[in-house]
Amino acid sequence: MTPLVQIRNLDVIFDTDRGPVRALRDVSFDVPRGKIVGVVGESGSGKSTVIWSIARLLSANGRIVGGKILFDGRNLCDLGEAALRDFRGRQASIVFQDPMTSQIPVKSYRQQIIDILYRNREQSRSQKIGHALAMMRRVGIPDSEQRIDQFPHQFSGGMRQRMGIAMALLMKPQLLMADEPTTALDVTMEAQIIHLLRSLQAEMHTTIILVSHNLGLVAELCDEVVVMYAGEVVERGPIGAVYARPAHPYTQALINSDPARVTERRRYLPTIPGDLPDVRFKQAGCIFAGRCPKAFDRCRHEEPAAHVLEEGHDARCHLLDPRQVASSSVTAASRQEGWVPVDPGSNVAATEPLVRVRDLRVSFPGRGGLASLLPGAQPAKIDVLVDVNLDLRAGETLGLVGESGSGKTTLGRCILGLIPASSGSITLRGRELTRLSEREFRPLRENMAMMFQDPVGSLSPRQSVRSLIVEPLDVHRPKGFDRDAVALKLADMVNLPRELLSRYPHQLSGGQARRVGVARALALEPDLIIADEPTAGLDVSIQGEVLNLMRDLQIAHNLTYLIISHNLPVVRHISGRLAIMYLGRIVEQGDCEAIFRRPAHPYTEALINGIPQPDPEHRRTLASIEGEVPSVAFRPRGCEFHARCRYAQARCREEPPEETVLSDGRTIRCHFPLTG
Amino acid sequence: MFHYLLKRIGLSVVIVLCALLALFLLLHLIPGDPATIALGPRATPEAIARYAAKMHLDEPILLQFQIYLFNALSGDLGVDVFSERSVTRIVLEALPSTLILAAVGLLWAALIGVPLGCISAVRPNSWFDRLTGVISVATIAIPSFLVSIWSLLVFAVILKWLPVIGAGEPGDLADQAYHLVLPAFAVGLSWVGYLARMVRASMLEVMNETYIRAAHAFGLEPRTVVFRYALKVAILPTITLIGIGFGGLLSSALFAEIIFTRPGVGKLIYDMVMNRNFPVVQGAVLITTGVYVLINLGADLVVAWLDPRVRDSL
Ligand code: SF4
Ligand code: SF4
Repeated sequence: MTPLVQIRNLDVIFDTDRGPVRALRDVSFDVPRGKIVGVVGESGSGKSTVIWSIARLLSANGRIVGGKILFDGRNLCDLGEAALRDFRGRQASIVFQDPMTSQIPVKSYRQQIIDILYRNREQSRSQKIGHALAMMRRVGIPDSEQRIDQFPHQFSGGMRQRMGIAMALLMKPQLLMADEPTTALDVTMEAQIIHLLRSLQAEMHTTIILVSHNLGLVAELCDEVVVMYAGEVVERGPIGAVYARPAHPYTQALINSDPARVTERRRYLPTIPGDLPDVRFKQAGCIFAGRCPKAFDRCRHEEPAAHVLEEGHDARCHLLDPRQVASSSVTAASRQEGWVPVDPGSNVAATEPLVRVRDLRVSFPGRGGLASLLPGAQPAKIDVLVDVNLDLRAGETLGLVGESGSGKTTLGRCILGLIPASSGSITLRGRELTRLSEREFRPLRENMAMMFQDPVGSLSPRQSVRSLIVEPLDVHRPKGFDRDAVALKLADMVNLPRELLSRYPHQLSGGQARRVGVARALALEPDLIIADEPTAGLDVSIQGEVLNLMRDLQIAHNLTYLIISHNLPVVRHISGRLAIMYLGRIVEQGDCEAIFRRPAHPYTEALINGIPQPDPEHRRTLASIEGEVPSVAFRPRGCEFHARCRYAQARCREEPPEETVLSDGRTIRCHFPLTG
Repeated sequence: MFHYLLKRIGLSVVIVLCALLALFLLLHLIPGDPATIALGPRATPEAIARYAAKMHLDEPILLQFQIYLFNALSGDLGVDVFSERSVTRIVLEALPSTLILAAVGLLWAALIGVPLGCISAVRPNSWFDRLTGVISVATIAIPSFLVSIWSLLVFAVILKWLPVIGAGEPGDLADQAYHLVLPAFAVGLSWVGYLARMVRASMLEVMNETYIRAAHAFGLEPRTVVFRYALKVAILPTITLIGIGFGGLLSSALFAEIIFTRPGVGKLIYDMVMNRNFPVVQGAVLITTGVYVLINLGADLVVAWLDPRVRDSL
């Protein structure tokens, strides 16, 4: 049987102000019928461009300049507009990355569905709706009869993506293309969506192309994998073979630098140093030569051919050439196998906490006024943080983990005095912070710095890197202070090349921008750094760079970190202790390794089981956690986790669990701890 | 929704109150006898005496304002100095003709401007888009009273295709429509340009949204995507702008009435200023302000009603 999709020597060019960018070069691979093929790569790899080329929906400045895309033997590049329209939706459909931006906000799902089904002329309107309702039920949307009349913004993120899948499958297409379908979702939602896609595929025998940067996700879901780098396919093959015996140095590096693989806390995360090549110009040799730890002479002037390793598994690298003399200078003494000299924060248990949070509660006013008198209205006051107790000892790293809406960011901002506490206390070195006025607080903020998620995007694009780095000094240091000297020192500390100081934010790469963020946070030599999602949106190969840097700085300057993140593998890698939040409460808190070894709270267990492993041999069989995070405005009775808890019993529905201390010093809020 | 409605209506009421207060202060801060100022030089002494008694001009100023406010809000805006007819009646009789003129002007402008903007946005930088751009800028740049005068000269006086003045025989709809053509053309012309530009700008933005790409990915007809998807979102900011720009539209309508000597609020104000019939002028100004505020409110409510996100966040 011929494969459903055969891509042959595909070349795609985007015309930009800076000249034509050769986004895809000589891309060839097959998508066998009824299989799930993963396309992985980092940003700039061209993985999404593949999907848009197949759908023939490249943005206006993009065009296919060479090669073929055969779908069922038909070359899609030859189709006219009418034939393409017939192809789209009916034979191939797309699940988008962010269902919020990909579903039109002003149309109800009923209208959108009727629009999609316009081609089924033989169906009556009510038949169409019946068909849609069945599909909605299949993808797990409860009360579909009522919800079909709702609008996208009335759905939660997870439900919206389910709806995205349902709409894509309405016309029963042969090919489903999913572009990072879970990137906008929380971990527990991600697990549910993967599970859903897998079961739908098994049932409908749809062929799926999954584009993702997440190796774990691809391992969980796919039968075959295509690894892309800078617009080229560098390796492809059956999932088991590629993950077990990655042949291309890039694939190897990518798999190695996945933080989910490196579980020892004291090891540095492997990274891939260097930047993507500029694909406006033709590269002389191997596309990866600039960053490849194993590159040798031949790589720089001769393009490697695809070498077959075993049935269906090939890679483009000279090292795989049987004629290649083995003596080639492969001095790949990978300098990345390093270990952290001391375990930061290992010896801090005895010291007095730097920050101590007790019974902290933060409430925001609900929608007040007359509206709050209407039935079903939200209460006038919404508790975002409830009874939070937290100790942060000098020199340690505490990971604060939770899904969106868990209150983790609020807690960070509250410690910084950016959000007022409603009750409870926060002390810094024994000094009470909650009742300070803004003027009294300002000098204290020197000791605490915030590292923002997107350090550069949130700052003025017209300021040079130098002035961005030293900006915090403007408030806290006298006028005559030597700013240039500080800027140089900070740039050196974060390994930012000095010549970048006079550049502007948009001229920086993602990793450099993060380092600017770190430098800014360090400008006032704080004791405590609160980092909000320090690696969100970064490629795996750069993520390690930032984490390693943060760790080195911690050791050198005895910094204390509060790391706020939803990314458990990253948090595990850098934290000594962990606090897990759910609906504004800390449900478990304690030693990071101990928690990962044996989670005590059912929610923690579900989160840990929800991490997709980059190992196709160990796929999870179940979605680890059902249901969705309830709204803080309508808190469930009893234990707030009971509706989603596998271990819930009658008592859980009535009586909220108190915070208790386990024998190993962990605190937990659960009637039936798993380690008990 | 409820909350939002209350807020918007409250705001509108405040604006109307401010207008009332301004007018009241004007009468009382100008040196001289308020009754004489309010009624103008053509008022008879009896009328002035009656006015002074009615407005309690001998009472403290706050009480006076209260009376003034109460009268205005209960629809009593005084009487015509000559005929002693109710000002409210006079203005309300003239209002429909003005509103029809403004509405017809806006309508034909929308029927042409909105599609122009859509097509320009679908094919940006095509010759069509460029031509539309030039036409838009030209129509925006020409003041509407010039359009009125020139179209009057060309089509009515020289070519004699259309009538010069008046609103047509009462009761004869065809004749009235015939008389409406030129003024409506003059009132709406610059709006063709405005709307084309506004719709083009917001369409260009919307056409880049992922949901438009998604609609294409589902294989929808291009016409459906442009008019039923993109335009449905792109029209929202345009409606708000129409509400805000309605003041300009009203003032063009007022001018057009004067030039084409069509009955209406504009003509009324003009005649009454000429006659120094001040109570009618004041009443007309107040009612026009009220209409403007109402239209603004209406535009906001239409947007809120069309956009479910807004509807829900209220
Ligand atoms: S061809 Fe050379 S540079 Fe390219 S991946 Fe192989 S060893 Fe590295
Ligand atoms: S208290 Fe009960 S419902 Fe809550 S987490 Fe523990 S076992 Fe689950």
